[in-house]
Amino acid sequence: MDPFGNFINGTVTLFSDPLGILIFFGGVVGGMLFGAIPGVSMLTLAAILLPFTAHLSAEHGIMLFSVIYCTGVYGGAITAILFNIPGAPENAPTAFDGYPMTRNGQAGKAVGAAVMCSAIGGTVSAVIMMAATAPIANWAISAFGPPEIFALVFFGLAVAATVGARTLWKGWLSILLGLMIAVVGMDPVGGIERYDFDMPYLLAGIHFIPTILGFFAVSEIFVQAERKATGVYEAPKLSVNFPSVAELIAHKFAVVRSIVIGFFCGILPGIGATLAAFMGYNEAVRWSKDRKAFGTGKLEGVISSETANNAATGAAMIPLLALGLPGGALTAMMVGVFQMHDMEPGPLVFLNSPDLVWVVFAAMFFANLSILLVGFLETKTIINLLRIPFQFLAPLILLLATVGAYAVRGLVIDVVVMFIAGVAGFFLRRSGYSVAGIVLGLILGKIGEQTFAQAMQMLHFEWTGFFNRPIAALLIVAALLTIVGSIYSAFFRKDRQ
Amino acid sequence: MGKLRLGHICEAVFWLALAAFLYIESFEFDRGIEIYKFGATGWPRALLLLVAVAAIGQFLFQFVAGDKATSGTVGAATDDGAEEAARQSGHSHFRWYVSTFCLLILPFLYMRAHDLTGLFLELDKEGVHTVKLIAAPVLLALYLLLARGNHVGAILTLPLFFAALLEDLGFYSMAPLFIVGVTLLMGERRPQWIALTAALIMGVLLFTFVSLLYVGLPTGNISPFYDLSHWIVTLIQ
Repeated sequence: MDPFGNFINGTVTLFSDPLGILIFFGGVVGGMLFGAIPGVSMLTLAAILLPFTAHLSAEHGIMLFSVIYCTGVYGGAITAILFNIPGAPENAPTAFDGYPMTRNGQAGKAVGAAVMCSAIGGTVSAVIMMAATAPIANWAISAFGPPEIFALVFFGLAVAATVGARTLWKGWLSILLGLMIAVVGMDPVGGIERYDFDMPYLLAGIHFIPTILGFFAVSEIFVQAERKATGVYEAPKLSVNFPSVAELIAHKFAVVRSIVIGFFCGILPGIGATLAAFMGYNEAVRWSKDRKAFGTGKLEGVISSETANNAATGAAMIPLLALGLPGGALTAMMVGVFQMHDMEPGPLVFLNSPDLVWVVFAAMFFANLSILLVGFLETKTIINLLRIPFQFLAPLILLLATVGAYAVRGLVIDVVVMFIAGVAGFFLRRSGYSVAGIVLGLILGKIGEQTFAQAMQMLHFEWTGFFNRPIAALLIVAALLTIVGSIYSAFFRKDRQ
Repeated sequence: MGKLRLGHICEAVFWLALAAFLYIESFEFDRGIEIYKFGATGWPRALLLLVAVAAIGQFLFQFVAGDKATSGTVGAATDDGAEEAARQSGHSHFRWYVSTFCLLILPFLYMRAHDLTGLFLELDKEGVHTVKLIAAPVLLALYLLLARGNHVGAILTLPLFFAALLEDLGFYSMAPLFIVGVTLLMGERRPQWIALTAALIMGVLLFTFVSLLYVGLPTGNISPFYDLSHWIVTLIQ
């Protein structure tokens, strides 16, 4: 049957099953809420729900996780915009302009743009996913081997170094710190323990969820607490004015560009929505005539980041379903759901369980659409969180973050790591370093080292081998040009602030 | 000295010392891997070299331009209020850093209290618990003493103290005290509002996570805190 017929069948199956409908709406609301509550994230919800999926059918379990993925990525934008606390790493660039917009009294406009663009990015991505999962997956896997993925990681890090820090050097130091944190634990080739300092906990590496919560949520509370303690704290201004249609149409090129970037990053295993959001944001800066306005509350920054990260959600399902390769933390948990039901994601799923695939596709499509409907309603209520005085909000956020960090692995040491990251983030931020850069380095560190090792083995340890592969060569040259350009700009341009 | 400040020198020394320390530590796992000629140390050492280069680059830039931002960088750090808060608070002098460091070390002293005592006394499980029960109030008293002159340092340390105590005393006993502590540190002085906040937050958290989602929160391992936690969990579930 053609994709459209399959989609109709999937939709009918989804909405004719009362339990399926309940799980769908539970996932939509749960993903949005956990994404939008400062201190916890969609990953916390997914970790909590994982054992429960054993009691659901495989169809319902996978559908629940895919719906949480779509709506959770959007939900994380709300906390990024309102509190400078991204719900997930893929929302970090949203905070660059979203939070300054809140401080300027434009919170409603920023959240409204996030709702619209998340829905557009996610829906377009879901449509492409339905139309061409198999050919796209085959192309991605044949064209993108370890050298290309390493080159993309390198390019992504080169791009991110110019974002978020006071100077280019601090941008690089932030990313390198994240990459070094990712080194802790077993090395990806020989399984040799590194920097474990004889602590069994460190053998498994430092988990990224407590680290992210610490660097973003906890450090933000500390920064605001310092402002309050010194009497310079100003409560964010409340506004529910959504962006006008004309404003959104004015950014149509940014939306299209971010969809392309987001989808492309999403289909690559291990890259996913985080790099998509950073690259979407950075390309918006690169193409803009008014670069200096970015970081001070520019709507295009929110639009680019949020379109790109939601465009990556549909794309991320392609390698998972077609090839069995998870692209990020949440898709990795979906592999767990498959395995709980004695299934393996991969090409056989399309042959053996076409109903499951199309119900999931239909659910993702409608989950992205529901961001529009539920998102606007939710925004009207959740924006009122800004009304809660900071002295009451701070303990709530810190305790939610504690539960979020603890729930991942059931280890108190993760809570300690989170608060250490919070203190480190506080000192690094006040010195002009980028916590978003640290987190990106941490997330891409493992895959960067792994693909570098695989690439070097493939290329018989010949560095020039990268340049015999067109895509890898293109990405490496682009990364080098980005680095040279940013160094030139840092040293020779005189418009320093 | 160009436009350098003491803080710039400390920053460069920190990064270079970190890189040197981690480089020396890398000899601990400097073992060959048959199929991979760079071994387990190749990647981290390359990163450490880049850390050193970036730290020197940053130092030279600060020598020439001081605290200015480089051209071509965009984003949050220059505009998210953290640097501005640091400037306005005046918390950037050496004494403040030393005082904050003294506060921050206290939770780690608690976590290692049994090891430190173990240097002089042989401790069984009960002994470890006794040491922890003595160390907790002593270190908390020290915290309150030091916190009087360093409000922001106290705010930074309290969550670490809470995390350090979670393992032994449990979430259920510590969280209400933590809420009260944070609310007080944030400047709230009305007892009825503090009590209401603690009750509301605990109610929401326990209902959502323990009752609805069956998330097991830390129960502690020292009696009577452990028994109290179990009693609360049984009551809720």
